Amino acid sequence: MASLDSAIAHEKRSIDRKAIIQKFAALAGLVLLVIAFSLTSGAFLTMSNVVTIALQTSTIAFIGIGATVTIITAGIDLSLGSVLALAGVVAAMAAQMGVPVPLAFLIGVATGGVCGVFNGLVITRLKLPPFIATLGMMMIARGVALQITGARPVSGLPSSFGTLGNDSLWRVLTETANGFPKIVFPGIPYPVILMAVLAIIMAVVLRKTPFGRHLYSIGSNEEAARLSGVKITKVKIGAYVLSGLMAGVAGIVLMSRLVTGQPNEGVAYELDAIAAAVIGGTSLAGGVGTISGTIIGAFIIGILRNGLNMNGVSSFTQMIIIGLVIIGTVWIDQLRNRR
Amino acid sequence: MSAVISGQAARIPEGEVADPILKARGVVKRFPGVLALNNIQLELRRGEVHALCGENGAGKSTLMKVVTGQLQPDEGEVTYKGQPVHFDTLQDSEAAGITMIHQELNLVPHLTVAENIFLAREPKKGWFVDRKKMEADAQIFLDRLKVNIKASDLVLSLSVARQQMVEIAKALSLNAEVLIMDEPTSALTESEIDQLFAIIHELKRQGVAIAYISHRLQELGRIVDRVTVMRDGGYVWTKPFDEVTVDDIVAAMVGRSLEQQFPERVSTPTDELIFEVRNLSGVRNCRNVNFTLRRGEILGFAGLMGAGRTETARAIFGADPKTGGEVLLEGEEITIASPVDAIKAGIAYLAEDRKLNGLSVKMTVKENITMANIEAVVRHGLIDKAAEAQAARQSIAKLGIKTPSIDQVVRNLSGGNQQKVVIGKWLFRESRVLFFDEPTRGIDVGAKFAIYQLLDQLASEGIGVVMITSELPEILGMTDRVVVFHEGEVSGILETRKTDQEEIMQYASGVKRMSL
Repeated sequence: MASLDSAIAHEKRSIDRKAIIQKFAALAGLVLLVIAFSLTSGAFLTMSNVVTIALQTSTIAFIGIGATVTIITAGIDLSLGSVLALAGVVAAMAAQMGVPVPLAFLIGVATGGVCGVFNGLVITRLKLPPFIATLGMMMIARGVALQITGARPVSGLPSSFGTLGNDSLWRVLTETANGFPKIVFPGIPYPVILMAVLAIIMAVVLRKTPFGRHLYSIGSNEEAARLSGVKITKVKIGAYVLSGLMAGVAGIVLMSRLVTGQPNEGVAYELDAIAAAVIGGTSLAGGVGTISGTIIGAFIIGILRNGLNMNGVSSFTQMIIIGLVIIGTVWIDQLRNRR
Repeated sequence: MSAVISGQAARIPEGEVADPILKARGVVKRFPGVLALNNIQLELRRGEVHALCGENGAGKSTLMKVVTGQLQPDEGEVTYKGQPVHFDTLQDSEAAGITMIHQELNLVPHLTVAENIFLAREPKKGWFVDRKKMEADAQIFLDRLKVNIKASDLVLSLSVARQQMVEIAKALSLNAEVLIMDEPTSALTESEIDQLFAIIHELKRQGVAIAYISHRLQELGRIVDRVTVMRDGGYVWTKPFDEVTVDDIVAAMVGRSLEQQFPERVSTPTDELIFEVRNLSGVRNCRNVNFTLRRGEILGFAGLMGAGRTETARAIFGADPKTGGEVLLEGEEITIASPVDAIKAGIAYLAEDRKLNGLSVKMTVKENITMANIEAVVRHGLIDKAAEAQAARQSIAKLGIKTPSIDQVVRNLSGGNQQKVVIGKWLFRESRVLFFDEPTRGIDVGAKFAIYQLLDQLASEGIGVVMITSELPEILGMTDRVVVFHEGEVSGILETRKTDQEEIMQYASGVKRMSL
């Protein structure tokens, strides 16, 4: 019995070690970035900048989680950015019409879910490749967002519409001698809290539920999954609905931050989302990927942008650097898998 | 040439005098943990068809890979046209005149015949492909084979047999002097085989040396001059075909009697019916199929490739649509519209191609074992890690799966262990009837024995076992009864101990037919 226990313990150790090494590459990159930027810019590692980074990263993280779910099934969701815009403007229009803000937000998120159902049905019923189906949705959602708003920002929203995107938990203020408020602790922005909560929920869904296991099995070998009794259609539609819901969440958070509905928001954001997933170790061939990896990927992109900005690097150069980072990380990942 | 090697080699009297174009001597090839080739010799002469016989895993393909430069031998040498040669790649050996036609044809379906024949060596006019010259040249080689194929035809519009002709034409265009054919007739109809053999005779006349790998021993007599038999990576003998019988070849291939190759059966058939199929028809190659399965029995499905055995199993399992018929499990009719229904009823289908249809090779042993029954380890909506690990460990212990851990990715296991993982998946589901489609394909001899033992054990536990196999010795060694398929229909159901390979082949080829 003792030997069995020790065998199990040994087995566990070796697995843990392997998993740690796998995650280590991306995480090490993240740590190196933080060290490099804190050395080059004194303002980088301040409390307010850390909060800013987390806030900026949350949008990439929301849609990155959505992208991860569909890529694990060997699919793709190119409609994330457009669905984000549609969900946001729908929420804004609802609030403008007098719908209570929390309900308006729910309507916005649900709009994302509806887009996901449409994607899922086109992929499973019409049997179109996910690339084509979501490319279509990318244009449809953007078109609808522009059409219903007349391509104009939706403004005149109640101030409570801005709470989700702009307020923080545990913000500590003191009054200075001349009566102005002074920020002692900026607090944790609501979008960052939402990001953490959703990331944990989605990680549990992927790792612990039968649905999550089925996502991986479809991405790994769809025919084997079907012959094992996995309900392919349901699970795939589920994946695209989750992706749409995450785009919806990103949409309401972003529009709340702007306190307007911007139909032109989020153009090409899906590419950031896919990049975050891929940097975090998700394989475009399907069957492989984790939420924690994607969050790390999202932070790598967020920190690169923020740090390069603080060092005065132009946005064009930033694009070049991020492009190289994507190519580099995936290359390293492939080298490791090839052994 | 080393005197030591020629000194210890078996003497082949005429071999030395005739004109050997390709010779392999003392070839040894080791893979991690396996001696794949052990002191192999082979000698091909110009204008002969030389059959290479041996069971799966005997080393035929490995030897051919060594000869064509896809693998490098650890010991021994290959001589070609009297010179020791060393090919680094397949392209090297092709350039020298040795061409191999694989069982899975290597053509690009969306290109034309001419484009395939001259792929990567297109005739050019300036910077552009000289399409006219390419098609004219391709047509010359096609015409030499006397086949009615146009060089401008798309490959995907051709039948498998005609695609094979294109491969041969491609070999001719490479000025092949040695042609290696791996199971060329396995997907062909009788008349297509006649056509292929006519071409082989023609090539022979032109002085091409042909190495011919086939499991269909009966047809060898029509074309073969000499036979080399291999067994478990070793060389057995080379003899002129006239001097041996098919039985001699089989005995040399197997190297032991059927009793040693298969385990002593523990299970015994009872009279109790556990599964029955009546008048089943499916959309693909399955018409009016009837059979019964008794408790404790192992039932075999025999037939040629494309006879409808796999299609029948897939239709029963709901993987392909049915057009009619009834399926009865323990006397009760069940409706199966999809694999989900079949699995619920307790029917499992272990697909023919493990990696394509049976396993998720990127996932772990544990995840594969629980895949068909994940609900069994779910508590409050979440997968219970401990319960899942326990389930996986039980399967590993029961089936003797050799894996460093339950979290090992299945891709890294050997073929035999992968097959056991698939079996573990269905046992964890507590399946009551299991269809094994080619369960021992591509796994080594020792692992086969373990799989046979497992099938027997399942049958003795009262689980219905149906074994679909193309290996007739497996049918004879393991089953109680055999259902023989011919062109999508059952042509006969035979008591295994009252039949033999010959009779089964007569039913399989449609020569004989039972009224059922």
